[in-house]
Amino acid sequence: MEHLLKLEQERDLTLDDCIKCSACSAQCPVAAVYPLFPGPKSVGPDMERLRLEGVRLDTSILSFCSNCKTCEVTCPSDVKITEMILGARQAAVKAKNVSSRHKLRDAMLGRAEYLGILGTISPGLTNGILGISSVRWLMERSLGISQLAPLPKYQPRFKGLRKSSAVSGLTQSLKQEPPSRKRVVYFPGCFINYNDPQTGEAVVKVLEHNGYEVILPPFHCCGVPLQANGNFKGAEDNAKKNLALLAPYLQEGLPVVASCTSCGLALREEYPHVKAEGAERIGLQTYDLFEFLWELHKRGELQEDFHEVPRSLGYHPPCHLKAQGIGTPSVRLLRLIPGVTIDDLDAGCCGLSGSFEFKEEKYPLAMQIGSHLFKRAQEGVAQGKFERLITECGGCKVQIEHGSGVKAEHPIWVMMEAYGLSDIRLSDK
Amino acid sequence: MWDGVIIGGGLAGLVAGIRASERGKKLMLVAEGTGSLTYSSGALDIGAIDLLQRSEKHPYALLQEKSIRDGLAYFQTLFPEYRENAEKPPLVLTPLGSCRTGGLAPAGLIADRLSQVRNIVLMAPKGMKDFFASVVKANLEKEFCQSTVRIYPFQVSAFASWYQVGRPVNGIEYARFWRTETGMQELGRLLGELTQDIEGSSVAVVFPGLTRVFSESLQKLLAQFPFPVVEMTDMSPAFGGDILHEALKRKFKELGGEMMIGSGVWQADCEGKTCQQVRVKSKGRDSILKAKEFILATGGVFGGGVEVTPTGAQEKVLKIPLFLPSEWTQAQFLREQPYARLGVEVDAALRPLDPQSGELIFKNVRVVGRMLAHWDPWVEFCGGGVSVATGWLAGETL
Repeated sequence: MEHLLKLEQERDLTLDDCIKCSACSAQCPVAAVYPLFPGPKSVGPDMERLRLEGVRLDTSILSFCSNCKTCEVTCPSDVKITEMILGARQAAVKAKNVSSRHKLRDAMLGRAEYLGILGTISPGLTNGILGISSVRWLMERSLGISQLAPLPKYQPRFKGLRKSSAVSGLTQSLKQEPPSRKRVVYFPGCFINYNDPQTGEAVVKVLEHNGYEVILPPFHCCGVPLQANGNFKGAEDNAKKNLALLAPYLQEGLPVVASCTSCGLALREEYPHVKAEGAERIGLQTYDLFEFLWELHKRGELQEDFHEVPRSLGYHPPCHLKAQGIGTPSVRLLRLIPGVTIDDLDAGCCGLSGSFEFKEEKYPLAMQIGSHLFKRAQEGVAQGKFERLITECGGCKVQIEHGSGVKAEHPIWVMMEAYGLSDIRLSDK
Repeated sequence: MWDGVIIGGGLAGLVAGIRASERGKKLMLVAEGTGSLTYSSGALDIGAIDLLQRSEKHPYALLQEKSIRDGLAYFQTLFPEYRENAEKPPLVLTPLGSCRTGGLAPAGLIADRLSQVRNIVLMAPKGMKDFFASVVKANLEKEFCQSTVRIYPFQVSAFASWYQVGRPVNGIEYARFWRTETGMQELGRLLGELTQDIEGSSVAVVFPGLTRVFSESLQKLLAQFPFPVVEMTDMSPAFGGDILHEALKRKFKELGGEMMIGSGVWQADCEGKTCQQVRVKSKGRDSILKAKEFILATGGVFGGGVEVTPTGAQEKVLKIPLFLPSEWTQAQFLREQPYARLGVEVDAALRPLDPQSGELIFKNVRVVGRMLAHWDPWVEFCGGGVSVATGWLAGETL
């Protein structure tokens, strides 16, 4: 409670930093497509003033904030706008104006981890069932999960490197050397765990190729889906569980890497506020995967035995990477590989925003939000500027493919190809 | 190690970044937010260069005419749609329909054509925020007394639900809409109807909430229309500034520049007269950026580069001592305010000097844009020019 109080005090202080310039509302992807959402300035700092005075306001509009944090990145005065909105949502969690149907749905979508565990018991069967249009229709009618939304396909769970995939010569040769003392903790996140284990394996291979032993504790969901769906208590519980798993490694000073930008953001921004051992170190020791690889490059420790990769790629920076305030390390790093050219599209939010788009009432908005990016992706491919997109976020990847039909991949696959570690070429994936 | 780190992502910082990247330098630009360029109308003030360069310590006096001209010319090669007429600065319309001179403005904003017509059609988009058709009409009639102004109200089906719930449509929202495919179809239809409706030939159309700069298809569409269409500047945050900001960012990135937006530098580590590295407020921990040179482009009081407290004013990042006028304000609000001239004093290479002793403070730091001392954008109307010219010089010499 103490830390919550402190957070609230900090929030109150930044309230006065808002100079009402409206820059955030001008950049808000939701306000641009949804007239009932008055924009982050209004629902954030403006209404916060009233909320602090105890004025009761309609809270239903708060759920239309997609938690993309574009407002916080935009704000020139460092006002914690999304934090204010999330705080207000937390206060209104028991709001009466959420239909029970949506309550159940939000509770489910928040539990990406449980859905993942269930879905991966028999991925083929789950995907089969979810592929039946009448099932999706029923899900929309009963739960309010949009039948059009691109639910990511389930795959056999990520368990680190499975034997079959660890046959590459280089990985093998490293294994025969005496165990290295370079160790790194990898936080894969739900998307890797349940929907894209191959990318998780690629991350491990690239880290191993650089002489790292990769530690994979049995992490839980980072908590972002829970928070975004109003389960703040659940998010904090998950943070505590994960911190308990991390604490001994943090104590040792080991770096933690995240290949998902939302998990990474949670570890850096939310976890330090949790009252648990390790909270004081987690922000200091967490790295975005490519930020970590760039640090290795700076220290001269990155394996730079790159093969030429003659690829032109478009890059979509995920909102939660931007919110970390670390630039675009994957673009910087991939440009070290001979042959790679990258067009950083920076065409705004893809619209998916975690589970925002999966909700029936939000699906059309999400598609409209992403339309600018889809168009840029399609034009880029049509004009031969690039062949496909790369993006760190699994959600963005799914959405880009759904909205534009252009293939998207995690940038680690370019590293895989450059290292000659991939049996499958990027273009065949 | 970066060749240069630019602190601040407004007009001056981005122009510096573009020029230096073009020269092959590896650059990182750090900014706290989108920068105050997004508040601007997109028309850049230049001011009376010949006069201002004779004013002691003015940035124009430090640069001298050749650098200023080279900087402005460079900007126009980057963005050929921006035009300057040194002989006769063009007119642009304010959001209220009065005229002002706009030093360097995209072609669509230039309003001089209005003085050659007898009929002005003022487009009045339904529900547009901060747009008052009758006020604009009155001002246009005052400015162009040879012509009559007719208000042409219209609505756009894409904003039907906006109208219905009573939410005003910002100029920025209208401007973005016209650039979409649906928007262009609707605009074509609207202008077609208008053409049917207009009698006579001495006609021009004034169109708020429309910006054609950097959109070839919109320019083509408007060129098909038989009458000139003049855009208006808009209240901030305005699309004209926003789209210029986007275009600058895109150029910078295309040339290999990288940006960290939403974080900002909070501290610099310096040794003697050399700045070694800066600390960026990334989430969780600082990102440390080492560079050979640094460009300070954090803006003034409004942009957040200078913090004013009840006891004084401070440059926030490098703690460079500022020139402060002896009197800060004067009673008449709309008269010149001395505080506008506070800022960092620099040498001809834009390196910061101690305002008391005149001694060089940092060898590897250049200060550009609003942070510079001894100029007043509101009296001298030279804000865009100072930012472009000093940004260009810093990028040219980094």
